[in-house]
Amino acid sequence: MAMITLRRQGGRLASLISPSSVNGAALLRGPSLVSEELDPKGARFVSTQVVRNRMKSVKNIQKITKAMKMVAASKLRAVQQRTENSRGLWQPFTALLGDNPSTDVKKNVIVTISSDKGLCGGINSTSVKMSKALYKLNSGPEKEVKYVVLGEKAKAQFVRDSKKAIEISITELQKYPLNYTQVSVLADDILKNVEYDALRIVFNKFQSVVQFIPTVATVLSPEVVEREAEAGGKLGDLDSYEIEGGETKGEILQNLAEFQFSCTMFNGVLENACSELGARMSAMDSSSRNAGDMLDRLTLTYNRTRQASITTELIEIISGASALTG
Amino acid sequence: MASNAAVPFWRSAGMTYITYSNICANLVRNCLKDPFKAEALAREKVHFSVAKWVDGKPQKPSTKQPLTPIEEQKARKRSLGNKWYTQK
Repeated sequence: MAMITLRRQGGRLASLISPSSVNGAALLRGPSLVSEELDPKGARFVSTQVVRNRMKSVKNIQKITKAMKMVAASKLRAVQQRTENSRGLWQPFTALLGDNPSTDVKKNVIVTISSDKGLCGGINSTSVKMSKALYKLNSGPEKEVKYVVLGEKAKAQFVRDSKKAIEISITELQKYPLNYTQVSVLADDILKNVEYDALRIVFNKFQSVVQFIPTVATVLSPEVVEREAEAGGKLGDLDSYEIEGGETKGEILQNLAEFQFSCTMFNGVLENACSELGARMSAMDSSSRNAGDMLDRLTLTYNRTRQASITTELIEIISGASALTG
Repeated sequence: MASNAAVPFWRSAGMTYITYSNICANLVRNCLKDPFKAEALAREKVHFSVAKWVDGKPQKPSTKQPLTPIEEQKARKRSLGNKWYTQK
């Protein structure tokens, strides 16, 4: 079965290889006994040049993808370590305030984290899809939803259909290794430039090299936290904490919300960078494999065509010789 | 309880908790001795570009870049750790 498909592909290739001047030659010579397909410019056999060139380019592409895979793999190790360490930053906040993705508020800001570079599988599309779903969930009469977009790739996807909702876009984040100072300055910039009741941070959580979970982390504004705490529910326990010193509860909550946002952002950015590298690794791995498969197929076609021409030549010589002797 | 007294001051100066804590962190980093100090300061590089969008169109992006050592020294002289990065 495989042989049949291969032969069919070989035939298609042969017809692709010699399309030039087939029509012209036919017009000039008129009807001829020689097969047009085998005789483009007085040549006796199909040229294998095209296949050879293609093989060369596929080989080069394979080299590039292999190199990219190695680079991603070596970067991943360092980032993964930092990501796993950074999880300790948001966990206390979740223990204290809980994660409240379903809180219904008026001003929603969706912070979508994506990568600046491509060739990393579907992780950017998943976070964009997740953000759009959140947008739909949270939009309604008298409600406002805005996007804050991190990274080139998500920006490009949002520009297509939800331009109007973009509030801020941030790029070139990964020029230097990610660090807390950088992300906190960024978080500060976002806080100063948007009005929010709830910030919803969308990123790909790194699970393993092949598994990334699109995740939403919610940071509520101090007013909303207070309101929710009064209403009871998950945040009701907040009142049982004792506040030291002369600060009011509002001040504490304000500080907490700001710090929570920058910590969650830090973790989100790192998780996403880690997922990006993991996704790039597996994407490049599969594309190197594909290139290898393609190379095998092309080599087979090439050899088959070459052998066919040799066989034809041999047959011609032998039959010519036997015609002379006979 | 020095921090309690300081709260209204930095808040009324228009700083957020993040800026305040960053300034404090930077001060602590500056207290390190030299091989560690240079290392710690070099680690914390800030670089990204921000663009605000109005009516579906991006405005001119502004970039935040790390300071070169000379600029950094000047900035430190200018204000005692208040302005720890420049906005270009």
